[in-house]
Amino acid sequence: MRFFRFIGFTVVRAWQGFWRNAMMSLAATATVILMLILLSGLLIVISGLDSGLHFIESKVAVTARLVGPPEHAAMTEEQLATLIDYVRGLDGVKDVTYVSPELAMQRLQQTYADRGEKLDLGGANITLYSSIEIALTDPNASQSVVDALTTGPHKPDIDRITTKQADYDELLSIIGTIRTVGIVALILVGAVVLFMIVNTIRIAVYSRANEIEIMRLVGASDSFIRWPFILEGVLCGLIGGLVTIVLVAIVWDPIQPVMVRVFQMPTSVSAQFLATLSAVVLVVGLGVGAIGSWISVRSNLSAAA
Amino acid sequence: MIGAMERAGIGVREEAQPVISMVDVGMTYPNGKVALADVNVLIPAGDFVFLVGPSGAGKSTFIRLLIREQLPTGGRVVVAGRDLARMRRREVPRLRRRIGIVFQDFRLLPNKTVFENVAFALEVTGSSRADIRRRVPQLLNLVGLHEHDEHLPTQLSGGEQQRVAIARALVHDPAMLIADEPTGNLDPVTSWEIIQLLIQINELGTTVLMATHNQEIVNAMRRRVLALEHGLLVRDESGAAYEREY
Repeated sequence: MRFFRFIGFTVVRAWQGFWRNAMMSLAATATVILMLILLSGLLIVISGLDSGLHFIESKVAVTARLVGPPEHAAMTEEQLATLIDYVRGLDGVKDVTYVSPELAMQRLQQTYADRGEKLDLGGANITLYSSIEIALTDPNASQSVVDALTTGPHKPDIDRITTKQADYDELLSIIGTIRTVGIVALILVGAVVLFMIVNTIRIAVYSRANEIEIMRLVGASDSFIRWPFILEGVLCGLIGGLVTIVLVAIVWDPIQPVMVRVFQMPTSVSAQFLATLSAVVLVVGLGVGAIGSWISVRSNLSAAA
Repeated sequence: MIGAMERAGIGVREEAQPVISMVDVGMTYPNGKVALADVNVLIPAGDFVFLVGPSGAGKSTFIRLLIREQLPTGGRVVVAGRDLARMRRREVPRLRRRIGIVFQDFRLLPNKTVFENVAFALEVTGSSRADIRRRVPQLLNLVGLHEHDEHLPTQLSGGEQQRVAIARALVHDPAMLIADEPTGNLDPVTSWEIIQLLIQINELGTTVLMATHNQEIVNAMRRRVLALEHGLLVRDESGAAYEREY
């Protein structure tokens, strides 16, 4: 019972304290919201780019166009099977898919269809090159696979090689930059937030110095004196977190299709993302509030009364 | 009288063991100022003691040591059977509930009513609402303010404010009441009313230690007097006057 009375007392006092010093409390909460919005934006962009990265990884990493008509005779099935076995035996290769000229044509038509157009060949009979698409277990193995194809025994079968390495490297570098800039910005804003919360609680402690002194004299325990102030800081974090979650939920509808389409984020991941993001935002908000008020209470409470 | 107070719910103590025991107590501040030196005092339960001396004699330090706001740099202070130097920090609140304290400036919370000011002391120590509803009216009755429970401190006279502070100091039924210049801000008539209240509380069994400059009261009461000068206990006399009489 005593514990519940303590909880009740602490919550009521923290709530009263928050509104007694409303301007400072709301300013601190606003900085928490700013930080959490920045954090949410960063997490959304990084998660999107990460999904894009996984998408590229999962797709064909190396495409080898095979020799064929009109310059050369088409490869026999036996030659093709030998080539595919050879490539499958290379280090870092996950899978090899043969794309026949017919399949290549179907894909081209599909690409046009996806754009709402129709492929018009003007009646000409065009045969596309056949190719093999090589998926890798490790995107970094791309160069060694390319080397094996261009210098190995099957060199004559290969007409041209294209890789996704450049795309992959570029995306990786973008993610790295965004992550670094984002983390630095978060640390700076986090420091401002801590400063605001520490000061808000400091003012709260000093404005209630008389009460604290009386509490000490009548035998209130340290927890009865300290926890309302700590909870007051946590309240800034909690309110900041909840407001941010509502804001993110509001903009989530336009964002989600972008995550799925542009970043190729799997729909199942995208559906869970908002819940995960909300949890992260809430935990970070509460954590910053608690740390800020704890620092302030530790350094100001004994000095105030 | 005591029977009536027992019925009012105010505890009566009969034990005569010392509430305060100070042995060779010294207090030297970091700047070298000696606030107390070699003080030896034994105050039995139920005593009424005046602590007198000029400003800077060490009265405030004496009180701060008793409520363990400071620890002495020498000697031993035992309050209600507990050696304060050996007491852990988290045990201090429990000690403070055994000692009620009132000040010259009352130290009431201006935005709380009389009832809330007294209730606050119970609330912050985890008392139940039922306890608060039972205990506060008893105490306001004792100090004669039961009809003013909805008033704010600013609506009360100085004497009435001091009564509220005394009621608050008694909420935990302390073994001892320390009054630090309780009449310092009051006119002579009101001062006597406060003294009468303290006597009444003392008669209920609560030990009272009152630091004062009020010669008239000390001389009229003829109680035990502890006199401090330059940090030294220069006199410890029963039935004494403010100044040495021999």
